[in-house]
Amino acid sequence: MGRPGIILLREGTDTSQGKPQLISNINACQAVAEAVKTTLGPRGMDKLVFDGRKVTISNDGATIMALLEIAHPAAKTLVDISMSQDAEVGDGTTSVVLLASEMLKQVKEFVEAGVHPQVLIRYMRQSAKLAVETVKKLAVPFEGEKGREMLLKCAGTALNSKLIASHQDLFAPMVVEAVSGLKSDLSDLNLIAVKKVPGGEVRSSFLVKGVAFKKTFSYAGHEQMTKKFIKPKILLLNVELELKSEKENAEVRITDPDQYQSIVDAEWSVIYEKLDKCVDSGANIVLSKLPIGDLATQYFADKGLFCAGRVDVGDMVRVGKATGAVIQTSTNGIAPEVIGNCGMFEEKRIGDERFNLFTECPSVETATIVLRGGSEQFIEESHRSMHDAIMVVKRSLKSQAIVAGGGAVEMEVAKVLREESLKIEGKGQLVMQSFARALEIVPRQLADNAGYDATDVLNALRKKHFHEQDGKWFGVDIKEGGICDTYEAGVWEPSINKINSLAAAGEAACVILSIDETVRNPKSEQPGAQPQAQQGRQGGGGMSGMMGNAMDIANNGARRGKLGHGVNYMKGRGGG
Amino acid sequence: MAKSMALNSAAGLAGMLKAGHKHMEGVDGATLRNIEAAKGLATIVRSSLGPNGMNKLVINHLEKIIVTSDCATIVKELEIQHPAAKMLELAAEMQEQECGDATNLTVSFAGELLKLCEDLLRMGLHTSEIVMGYKKAYEFLEKTLPSLVVENMEDTRNEAELIRICSPVLAAKQYGYENILAPLVAKACMQTMRKSGRASVTTDSVRIAKIIGGNISQSECIAGMVIMRGTEGSIQHAKGKVAVFACGVEASATEAKGTVLMKNADDLMSYNKSEEKKMDEIIKSIADAGTKILISGGTVSEMAMHFIERYGMMCIKITSKWDLRRICSATNSSALVRLGPPTPDEMGFCESVDVREFGVRKLCVFSQNPDAGQGCTVSTIILRASTSSVLNDLERAVDDGVNCISTLCQNGGLLPGGGATEIELSQRIKAYGDSCPGLEQYAIRSFAKALEFVPRTLAENSGQEPTDILAALQAAHANGKSNVGVDIEGGGNGTKEIGPDCLDLFAAKDSAFRLAIDATLTVLRVDQIIMSKPAGGGKQ
Repeated sequence: MGRPGIILLREGTDTSQGKPQLISNINACQAVAEAVKTTLGPRGMDKLVFDGRKVTISNDGATIMALLEIAHPAAKTLVDISMSQDAEVGDGTTSVVLLASEMLKQVKEFVEAGVHPQVLIRYMRQSAKLAVETVKKLAVPFEGEKGREMLLKCAGTALNSKLIASHQDLFAPMVVEAVSGLKSDLSDLNLIAVKKVPGGEVRSSFLVKGVAFKKTFSYAGHEQMTKKFIKPKILLLNVELELKSEKENAEVRITDPDQYQSIVDAEWSVIYEKLDKCVDSGANIVLSKLPIGDLATQYFADKGLFCAGRVDVGDMVRVGKATGAVIQTSTNGIAPEVIGNCGMFEEKRIGDERFNLFTECPSVETATIVLRGGSEQFIEESHRSMHDAIMVVKRSLKSQAIVAGGGAVEMEVAKVLREESLKIEGKGQLVMQSFARALEIVPRQLADNAGYDATDVLNALRKKHFHEQDGKWFGVDIKEGGICDTYEAGVWEPSINKINSLAAAGEAACVILSIDETVRNPKSEQPGAQPQAQQGRQGGGGMSGMMGNAMDIANNGARRGKLGHGVNYMKGRGGG
Repeated sequence: MAKSMALNSAAGLAGMLKAGHKHMEGVDGATLRNIEAAKGLATIVRSSLGPNGMNKLVINHLEKIIVTSDCATIVKELEIQHPAAKMLELAAEMQEQECGDATNLTVSFAGELLKLCEDLLRMGLHTSEIVMGYKKAYEFLEKTLPSLVVENMEDTRNEAELIRICSPVLAAKQYGYENILAPLVAKACMQTMRKSGRASVTTDSVRIAKIIGGNISQSECIAGMVIMRGTEGSIQHAKGKVAVFACGVEASATEAKGTVLMKNADDLMSYNKSEEKKMDEIIKSIADAGTKILISGGTVSEMAMHFIERYGMMCIKITSKWDLRRICSATNSSALVRLGPPTPDEMGFCESVDVREFGVRKLCVFSQNPDAGQGCTVSTIILRASTSSVLNDLERAVDDGVNCISTLCQNGGLLPGGGATEIELSQRIKAYGDSCPGLEQYAIRSFAKALEFVPRTLAENSGQEPTDILAALQAAHANGKSNVGVDIEGGGNGTKEIGPDCLDLFAAKDSAFRLAIDATLTVLRVDQIIMSKPAGGGKQ
């Protein structure tokens, strides 16, 4: 080291600045979009992603984006919007990525020509706002009677682009049925279970209006149980019904060998007491989160009850919702109101699995969809598709408005934007026009993926939208090629889907445009040590470290010790 | 390193210090190098100044991605090593703590001052003369600044006024979203203000909940707290008395390792039952005290949950100690460290507790009636955006907005923004400099020139021609129009009269100038740098 240079930042810090940085960010985003764009639409192709352990076949944008493990910091923004679209709407995850990258691509030339990014951002935001308003204006509200039909079509459209598209006549009504059963205000998706049973044929999938779950592991005596009840009473427990030591740290010391038998008897009577109480409650079916052992199973079988132990928590909650039963952590004081009931219970064979089915429940707040299919990957993908469809129906119910899909709404918004842009003076006009052009990527890609000439289709669409009053719902005709009125054809999507994806794509594009410098600090050398300091910075971290056992607080000595720990963290960050 | 030292240190210094230290001195060796470093830092941040400033993407050592134009954050995450640049960082940090805003002004202004004194040094001026000149100029600035105040806000309980004042601050961070954010910030601050006496806002009382998904227009302000999780039990809506337990709601276990000794069969049979009964008693007593909402700082055992459900209470688990403390203050309750029935004054009250769904996340929303009784001590802004980097940046903007209102409550003075104040100051200082006889005249002139960088950068960042605008501004100010500033929208000749909707806080600007000049003078005064060998060995 001859003459020490001026080291402003830590050694190994990498910075890049200016226009080239922006262009490279845009290029990275395009590369990401390139990877997912062929999955768009009904004729989109699937991707097989192998992450070293598991093979996933999917055409769900969010799934693919998550599996791609994108490392580029700017391109990660696209993963973010895809995820947020998934969380907010559940569908349209590919199109949001595609839109964002296309917007960037369209404004890239302006960046290269030296237009200040802030100018671009300002008009991009304005355009995105206008686009969202236009979609809101175009949206067709639900009408009471036709509501269900509309939901069916929305579900159908969502399923159309998925693997199980050819069976949408089966699945769409199933999804609508399941979702409309839910209470509309706070519909929790956990209340719709999707159970996967490999084997059989797709079309033998079915919907249970109630709860279904796979028969749990059972002990001897299970065969003798009644497997079918009409109007049974149901008891849900969180109690282990097995012979076992009552308490881990308890010890029995006896002075007299005669007492030995009494202790054994006592243990037996403890469990018999519990079992008796279950039976006395009047229940026909006993379910428990925890294991139900040999003895209990046999006992219940003798008394003509059905029991299942180690039931999944989610299933327990659903049974509770459907039957009105409340999970009990104790067998003492079981009140009549915590016992649930339903119209019908049976254990049924599905494929080579046995399922417990609760049907004709008093409050249809939950539903179970049993999916069948050949291979594991197929069922997995069907599951994802069902999830998307369920989300779409749920959102449609909430937003109560729909728009026509197939690129129709994008074309119409593009038209409105073009018209508006002519009213703007200056560079904004060009930015808004390129925003409009970016929207055309949806119909273009739809046509491309379906194997039609995208340019022809697009030209026809533009003409229709610009020149004809009733042309606003014309989109790509996937089946026949060319264009058609997608509203008439029943290709419908909830308007919130489009609103969210336009807003999110615009936002993401603006974020990427607004970055003019990247500074990458070297990764800390001791990955173990640093996160601790980070915890200290958040303040709560160090303190919550002491939350390990909350009882510590009562115990003064332990508290002091642990508090010291937390304080140390804070000290650690010292100079910042 | 050792070699360079050997070349440098002809004096006895090398013999005096431990081997491995670094040593630089003189104008060339130390001062100019320091200036260089400070300039480097200022160059990085200055393109983020103003509403049209660009963002920086910083990846910190934990691989966390930060996209922001907030100078304090950038400077913090850059991990600056150079000691002189570190001074600027500290100044920015101080500014952030004191006013929460105008950090970029601090760093860029200090950088600009140092840059200009480089020329002075090359001209042959001695550092002490520059220091003297800068000091004089600053003293003059300090005297002049109050006279430029255009408005003094007295009524800080007026929501519309608050919106007007914090809009430009938010616009500087999130241009285009200020019309959404400003009303939220103003409302949140208003809710937490005491109803009587001098209005004040503590920044900790305005909380921010970030939820990914949706878009910014779905953001909202809640009078109360938001806990980022659902309830434990099945009850989703409640209203009434709140009992807060800092401990877990579970059977107390002894800290010392103990074994339960049983003598006979009866003991065994009653052991579990007695435990169950005990829990039943405790929960019942809590319920009997009128508790409707039970908050636990630790685990809630299944057995306890069973009884909580039975007695129809809502149960919420809050694992963060800080959140627990805030919830106590929001509901006016005190946290109990032992499980047992709370006394009436230990219990708080909440107008309504609701579980609400945002995207796929469920939140517990504690809302109070801001107009009733003592109002609410905590308010929360729920921010929505589609990416986490946007969310984090929105959070920083809101923080700045809250800080701005909090500063405003202490000092209502307002200055024209958009570079108008700086240009006016620059002209007055220049005139003052011309009247000074000594060599410090040059330094005072440089100081005046340094102030011009604000309008210049504002113009530059909004993609306009900075020199033209600067000329226009100077002409306008020379003609007595003291509130003409840069028009970042770029209309007309790029300048406009700064109206009442684009005002900066006097306090923030004042402290930014003070900190900047302090940092500058500290850097300038250094003529020798001695860095001892870093302790710990290993890495050089």
